[in-house]
Amino acid sequence: MWRDIAFALALILAIIALAYATTLRGLGPLPPDNLRNLAIAYLKTTYNPFKPLFTAMAPEAVTAIIWDYRGLDTLFETVVFYGAIIAALTLYREVYKERDVLPLRGLSLIVKRSTAVISIAILSVAAATALHGHLTPGGGFQAGAIAAVAPLVILVVFSKIFLESRGVQYTKLLTLRNLGLLGIGLTAIALILVGLALGSNAFIFQNQAKELARLSYPSKALDVPLGGSLWFFNLFEAIAVAAGFTLVFMVLMSSEELAKREVVGEEHGY
Amino acid sequence: MNVADLVFSMLAISALLSVAATVLAVQAKDLLKAIVFSAMQSVAYTLMYFLLMAPDIVLVYAAVAVGIYPLALVLLIKKVGRYEV
Repeated sequence: MWRDIAFALALILAIIALAYATTLRGLGPLPPDNLRNLAIAYLKTTYNPFKPLFTAMAPEAVTAIIWDYRGLDTLFETVVFYGAIIAALTLYREVYKERDVLPLRGLSLIVKRSTAVISIAILSVAAATALHGHLTPGGGFQAGAIAAVAPLVILVVFSKIFLESRGVQYTKLLTLRNLGLLGIGLTAIALILVGLALGSNAFIFQNQAKELARLSYPSKALDVPLGGSLWFFNLFEAIAVAAGFTLVFMVLMSSEELAKREVVGEEHGY
Repeated sequence: MNVADLVFSMLAISALLSVAATVLAVQAKDLLKAIVFSAMQSVAYTLMYFLLMAPDIVLVYAAVAVGIYPLALVLLIKKVGRYEV
């Protein structure tokens, strides 16, 4: 009892000391109230139809920075994410392709019905986040992470067998993930391919026309700003992330029967 | 009270809430409770990210920290047992 109170008091003291030191600029200068030069540069060029050679033509600055200004960095982030997923799948390499064997009933009918309704809502939010990622906060990875919650909840509430019998299987998810990755790659080099056909220059990860390369993605679709390549990147990234997360969870949620086959023979050293 | 004061006081409240939730999560012997406290801490952080004007982070943080991460930990607990001894 007294130990807990002393602990809480020590914690409160530490927080107050830290907050006080921060306000007095003891831990470095506070950020200024006005906009910094870098932010002003981004805000002036993110959506600016009057400077067609510098703009990204997307109203959402964060997505424009992630997929246009520093698109190659984001590509390598994506590579790291898929490396992690491949590593997780490798741990289960004996069993990941097999369908599950243990028939499970799942939770009660009330939970199942409400989960069914909520899953559709989750997927709609994910679709909106991906397809409007260049207009409102959001983007490919966010949408993929949101969409992956739906199959995860279904896995827990219904069962793995249910999801597999409805067609969400390893090979299909792998195909979907590979299509997403292929889409990201093709979006990055599509303008180069078009440039080869038309005999003009283009850069990797080019979005809008530049001084030396006049090709550009469409900046508007049906009078709505499209942000050029950003829309395509968001869409394919969302597909790939959602399929990748679902893949890992399907494998992790294998029943004991299946998972035990993975560790059989460990005592003999193979 | 202007808007900035309101934002800063809400930041302070959610920061304190997150500290309390973290302490409870560390102290809990029932690991399922620890996960719920950890999710509470994540909710406080989500609010803080929103108040700091980073809605892009909010979207991914809410999905990962409140949805995917607790469910993965619940799975782990199902395999290793619920109570810490």
